[in-house]
Amino acid sequence: MGSDEAYNFVFKVVLIGESGVGKSNLLSRFTKNEFSHDSRTTIGVEFSTRTVQLNSFTIKAQIWDTAGLERYRAITSAYYRGAVGALLVYDITKHLTYESVERWLKELYEHAKPNIVVMLVGNKTDLESERSVPTEEARDFAEKKGLLFLETSALASTNVEAAFNNVLEEIHKRVGSTEGVRSSISAVSLSSSRGENAEEQKPCCRNL
Amino acid sequence: MAKIENGRQSVDTRSIRTISSSHIDDESSLGSDSEINGFTSDRQTDKYGFIGGAQQYTEQSAQDVPPQVLRQREVKWLDMLSHWDKWMIKRFNKVRLRCQKGIPPALRGRAWLYLSGGKVKREQNQGKFQELDSQPGDPKWVDVIEKDLHRQFPFHEMFVSRGGHGQQDLFRVLKAYTLYRPEEGYCQAQAPIAAVLLMHMPAEDAFWGLVQICEKYLPGYYSPGLEAIQLDGEILFALLRRVSPLAFRHLEKHKIDPILYMTEWFMCAFSRTLPWASVLRVWDMFLCDGVKIIFRVGLVLLKSMLGTREKLKACQGQYETMELLRAIEPRYMQEGFLVREILEVPVTAREVEREHHTQLKRWKKNRGELNFKSPPRMHGARIIMLAEPPRRQDLQQNPTILLEMPQPTSQLKKGKEENKSKKKRSMKKSKPIDEIPNPYSLPSDLPPPPSEPPAPPPVTSETPPDGETPPEIVPQTKTDSPDQQEAPPKDLPPAKESTLQRSTQSLSSTDQDTYL
Repeated sequence: MGSDEAYNFVFKVVLIGESGVGKSNLLSRFTKNEFSHDSRTTIGVEFSTRTVQLNSFTIKAQIWDTAGLERYRAITSAYYRGAVGALLVYDITKHLTYESVERWLKELYEHAKPNIVVMLVGNKTDLESERSVPTEEARDFAEKKGLLFLETSALASTNVEAAFNNVLEEIHKRVGSTEGVRSSISAVSLSSSRGENAEEQKPCCRNL
Repeated sequence: MAKIENGRQSVDTRSIRTISSSHIDDESSLGSDSEINGFTSDRQTDKYGFIGGAQQYTEQSAQDVPPQVLRQREVKWLDMLSHWDKWMIKRFNKVRLRCQKGIPPALRGRAWLYLSGGKVKREQNQGKFQELDSQPGDPKWVDVIEKDLHRQFPFHEMFVSRGGHGQQDLFRVLKAYTLYRPEEGYCQAQAPIAAVLLMHMPAEDAFWGLVQICEKYLPGYYSPGLEAIQLDGEILFALLRRVSPLAFRHLEKHKIDPILYMTEWFMCAFSRTLPWASVLRVWDMFLCDGVKIIFRVGLVLLKSMLGTREKLKACQGQYETMELLRAIEPRYMQEGFLVREILEVPVTAREVEREHHTQLKRWKKNRGELNFKSPPRMHGARIIMLAEPPRRQDLQQNPTILLEMPQPTSQLKKGKEENKSKKKRSMKKSKPIDEIPNPYSLPSDLPPPPSEPPAPPPVTSETPPDGETPPEIVPQTKTDSPDQQEAPPKDLPPAKESTLQRSTQSLSSTDQDTYL
């Protein structure tokens, strides 16, 4: 349980967006390289981690996933706590899921840290023929709102790595190594058993 | 790396269902074959209907009840179901004990419907489900429900086919509920609840079972705002303090909100968490005794995983702790262990209510009034029955296989039913009397052969003192053509002769049946 690798930072990233847009599959594709047409409806909170290399740093990404259905928003404040990044996902074939992006943003800024890194993600590009949200329109919107933007396909594994990596990079830039990134995993063992990265280990490795 | 990193063994969904080529359409498989869905024929279906070991069925952990005990229990349950109101009012402790031992699979669906009060609801609202079923439904809800149909127990043979009967019935039940309670609408966690019910009974029955669970057992759980579940999270946490102070302090120290671990547990009544055998045992007790069972299960799991210093050493932070709670060790979820532990937890319905009161006060102080005031919770089958008293005819069973007065060669007539309830409602096929002893012999049968301890004792019928007992079987004499006679309509007047009355065997479970 928990990677044995040493890591410098832990970044908590949340997946938000309407029900059925593909959050759970983006999660499983990124952290386990798995995709399922019939993954179970998310009820409550799901999470997974993956450790990535960012320049010379080892980043442990803690990705959280929850139910998209409207009424679940009532219980999400615990979910947002400590998050430094968010992927706001919509389905490019369902325009309604794109229309609710503004609401999600509002919700996000109400509960999360003000300088949280947000990427707008248009998922299901494998269904290009059914597209109902033009790429340019979404890209413009993202730019206007100061959000990162990518279109992905969890099914075809397109741009999923890029999406998460970009967000993590951006978080790292904002948070930086100058600020101590506080985590709840205080006693963490920047795995002393391994020792290879000993010199690079920062004394504190924590979530904001 | 990723697999190890993420703790519990991830189910390899690719080998069962994933479609790797990108040109296969999302909406592909209406009414599809298993093959199209990617199943290989060597995937085993377990006795509950799960494929490929999903829901954690293993041979070793299976706790199979010997057949003769099962038969005994079935006889007892049939007796109880035939005199349901009397058992519930006067001998509820016995009903509870039998629920704790596990309802025999053949009668589980029926028992659940009776325990929950769904049976009574159905009888008192005849035609209602059909009415709801025939309406198109609010498009907003229909859309969300449709998205969820293939996401409930996708590894169960009943729900595996897109557009198959299982998914269709799931749709019908959930849609009907949104029409029945438009102010509530649909909440995603209702789908697994409905699915579990559908595995045991036809759509109409499952609908009323769902109604009872949503309104009596877990009111407010699925309502907008999800306030009830948040409150129960706080109650669970408060109860934990007494049951396992160590676990309590740990969760408190790491600021782990109950919502982060108990949401799926409670909203789905553990149907997505436990191995299936345990789910069924928990539901047997839950439908009998109410939400306190759900609290007890949660407390057992928390205590098991976080209740000792040693275990806590292994989880240093919020994330590790949550990972631990997400990957409960199989031995703590195993049927035998779990049931024993549940019965030991010192938490009563009254204590749940008391804590509810405390937490509600706290909520109002910190967050103001509740937006969605739910009706009070009902703690179990007996209370529900007292609140919604049945008429005599509401408890009548309506079997579709009717046994005739025995002829030299007994004949069976299969009745038509509008739904798939045949196997749940049918009496066992009677064998020719001269060959094998018939445990369900009718009044005019020859006296049953002497019973030996292992063989199920025959049920003899006698006229009950009050002569009012509803009949279990309705013997039919042939007045018309012997051939294609159909089942009588539901409102058949009580038969002149009643059968299957009191059981003559000892009702003391300690005599014969000690299986947990």
